[in-house]
Amino acid sequence: MTAVYGVSLFEFDESDFTEDQVWFCDVTHGSPPWKPLYFCHGWCWPGYQTIQTGYESLQVPTSRGWQIRAKDGYPYPSVMLTTEEETKQRAPIFRERIRPYIENFNALWDEAKMDLKKNYEDLRKKYGLETYESIKDLPDYRLYDMLEEYLILHRKQWVVHMEYFFVPVYYLFGLFQNMSKKVLGLDSGDPLFSKAMAGFDSSAFRFNERIWDLGKQAVESGLEGVFTADEDDDAVLRHLEGSDAGRAWLEGFRQFLDEYGWRCERMSDWATPSWLEKPALAIPGIRMAIATKGVSSIKENRELAERERGEAEKELLEKVPADQRDWYEVLMKCAQNACYFSEDHTYYTELYTSAMGRWIFKEIGRRFAEAGTIDDSEDVFFLLMNDIYKAIIPMGRVKLQGKVAARKKEWEGYLTVQPEMLLGNPELMGLVVQKDPVLSAAFALPNVRPELAADLYGGGSAPGVVEGVARVIMTEKDLGELRKGEILVAPGTSAQWMPAFEIAGGIITDGGGALSHAVIVAREYRLPAVTGTHEATSKIKTGDRVKVDGDLGIVFILK
Amino acid sequence: MDRVVLGFDEIREGDADKVGKKCANLGELTYAGFRVPPGFAVSLAGYSRFMNETGVRARIEDYLASFHADPNKTADMPLYEEASAVIRGMVEEAAMPADMETEIRERYQALCEEACLADLSVATRSAGPASHPGQYESYLHIKGADAVVAGVRRVWSSTFNQRSLIARARQGLDVAYDPIGVAVLRMVEAKAAGVMFTTNPGDGDAGKIYLEANWGLGESVVSGEVTPDSFLVAKADGEIIERHVSRKAMWFVPDPETGRVGFCEVPDDMKNASTLTDDELREIARVGALIEKHFGVPQDIEWAVALGAELPESVMFLQTRPQKNIIEKKGATDRLLDFIIRDFEF
Repeated sequence: MTAVYGVSLFEFDESDFTEDQVWFCDVTHGSPPWKPLYFCHGWCWPGYQTIQTGYESLQVPTSRGWQIRAKDGYPYPSVMLTTEEETKQRAPIFRERIRPYIENFNALWDEAKMDLKKNYEDLRKKYGLETYESIKDLPDYRLYDMLEEYLILHRKQWVVHMEYFFVPVYYLFGLFQNMSKKVLGLDSGDPLFSKAMAGFDSSAFRFNERIWDLGKQAVESGLEGVFTADEDDDAVLRHLEGSDAGRAWLEGFRQFLDEYGWRCERMSDWATPSWLEKPALAIPGIRMAIATKGVSSIKENRELAERERGEAEKELLEKVPADQRDWYEVLMKCAQNACYFSEDHTYYTELYTSAMGRWIFKEIGRRFAEAGTIDDSEDVFFLLMNDIYKAIIPMGRVKLQGKVAARKKEWEGYLTVQPEMLLGNPELMGLVVQKDPVLSAAFALPNVRPELAADLYGGGSAPGVVEGVARVIMTEKDLGELRKGEILVAPGTSAQWMPAFEIAGGIITDGGGALSHAVIVAREYRLPAVTGTHEATSKIKTGDRVKVDGDLGIVFILK
Repeated sequence: MDRVVLGFDEIREGDADKVGKKCANLGELTYAGFRVPPGFAVSLAGYSRFMNETGVRARIEDYLASFHADPNKTADMPLYEEASAVIRGMVEEAAMPADMETEIRERYQALCEEACLADLSVATRSAGPASHPGQYESYLHIKGADAVVAGVRRVWSSTFNQRSLIARARQGLDVAYDPIGVAVLRMVEAKAAGVMFTTNPGDGDAGKIYLEANWGLGESVVSGEVTPDSFLVAKADGEIIERHVSRKAMWFVPDPETGRVGFCEVPDDMKNASTLTDDELREIARVGALIEKHFGVPQDIEWAVALGAELPESVMFLQTRPQKNIIEKKGATDRLLDFIIRDFEF
């Protein structure tokens, strides 16, 4: 097998295909395939490595973390199970190291996220960058300095994100999921389980609320027509400049961007523009808000969800044997924290760091293109760090067009590949998910039940049943196509897809387990969802009539 | 005036300051329909009347006025021993006010008639009031009305045993006067007896009942001088989770010749045998759980299995009180952590 982008770090070799290994494709994050720069340096290397350090620093007894390989432009992690001996040695250490996440999660996370946000702001301040455009004024060597400091901060973000929080927080969720199955026979797709895990506010929902506020303001200022008259998002912004009401609205919009604009079109990807760079990216969401006259359903839904959660908690606890109730309740709280964390963290982690990386690399790309190192500023995302170090100071000595061309060709090839979901010994997957609660929370295999005769079987779900017309959307770029009440069908969803949940009738995704974005947000919006179907986007066509049964976690294609 | 003698069926849990904790708990058990040996209580008012009306209290106060010793000094301990003997003599030699004595005799007679026995064996046991720190004495296998009256006085006089005198002196309490109640109850001729904790003291697990048992009377178990059989029973379904049958060399029984109770050697064929059958064990635990439910907190219960009766009538409850030996219950987080590392099967 050839190394993806020639990087040996992620290269499969023969010893990777023994009977005791299984590799699963991380389509949730990795689809469509990233361009080389982010693939290697943004995600795979620091992201999975810090998951591994998370397992080691916590001394998770059953797993030593995920090693990472790549094929066809997709990341393939694999769980390294421990031996019985290792399990015994790690257990008592793990017992003490997981404790703070049980007793003190909120304080730990609040401190960590505020620290990260301050780090991003401090880095901008240090280089005197008060506006988005002012990065153009940095001399090359200062831009290079900033790049190095950014990469350290980017890695710190991954350490906080993965090592400090993702592994312990998802571990506890996975444990709750497994325990509920074991003690109560309850699947995570069970409506009762879902209800106990919903009704939590977080930064992701505040983002949506701001979008809806902007929509409401637009409607109230009589600007609705500006948004509906022109399909071109950039044109909408230009038209708004043309009136007092429009300019007043834009002022509020800019304030919104100052706070929430540090996000790329794709949640984790340097190669897509940020909202600060391309404000028009915010317009599809605002159009959706206007379609609802700026009336968000989240508050009402959350109130209902909160009430139902209280009842579900009580019902769950009553099912638990009395002598196990106390610890089950503590574990349930941990699982709820995980649901909150899952939607709260992205703003402080992936979104912010990706947008800052975008800012710096795009500027490097612009200078490389000017200096003749590459042909187009966007070609910088086909480079790897070695290339950038080689060419950055002084500029203009090095030609990288050859590297770009070869990798671009390779990447374009990957775009047409339907990735294999599992490599190696697929029979191991069940065991691995059992042994690694983190994995069981983050990923899910379709729960195939032929007796239900469904067209798709999910691995995760949010309760409720709905029938409607499908709208297949492969990337957030096309989100604006979604119409009110349609069933959104996507490879996966992320923070950038938030507005869609206000208007969709239901959700179906290829990837995603019980803690995936789609499941958690669908619960808050009380939308039926079926996730982790593996093949929704290839089986369903836009316009198909589909029935989403979130109670059973299945989908019927009615045509 | 407060009553001196009350049947167990006239007493409730809230009467501890009137009749002492033990009597109040036996009264509550009786009220709730649990199988308690028949008996009655001599109230704190009885102690008070006896001490005051007979002049014993005044005599003790006179005596103590010229008694000088330091309760914190080891060298003075023999002085307390001597004082105890003198004072106990005063108490035990004094005649009870006639109406009190008559009432106790009549109550005893009623117990005999109920049991169809001329001289029923009873126990006289001390019952301190709610806040009482003292450890007083009990007398077993007392037969005949004269002996019962004397037995009650001896329990009263045990408030002047050396240990109690020193304890009160150290705490600055009234050394000359310490009202307690007395329980007079029918002796159970026990095949086996012991204690039961309705929450497993070992790990604070409220789902498990822990029992200890030996042949004969329960005193051998309470005293800690033998290694009893021990059992762990699930509260929910009576499943016997653990069973440790020990070698039991001694038991506490009446001497067949003298009738006096004391430690004797267990017959060889019983030494290694289980003191309880599974059915007996489950019945004791089942009722234990009900007693706990009735009182609302984990209980420390003394029980006995009577000879010559069939299950469930053979199982009797001699005492219950809130369980104090539960190890500090682990917090839910620790229980969760224990659980996490105990169970790596998933």
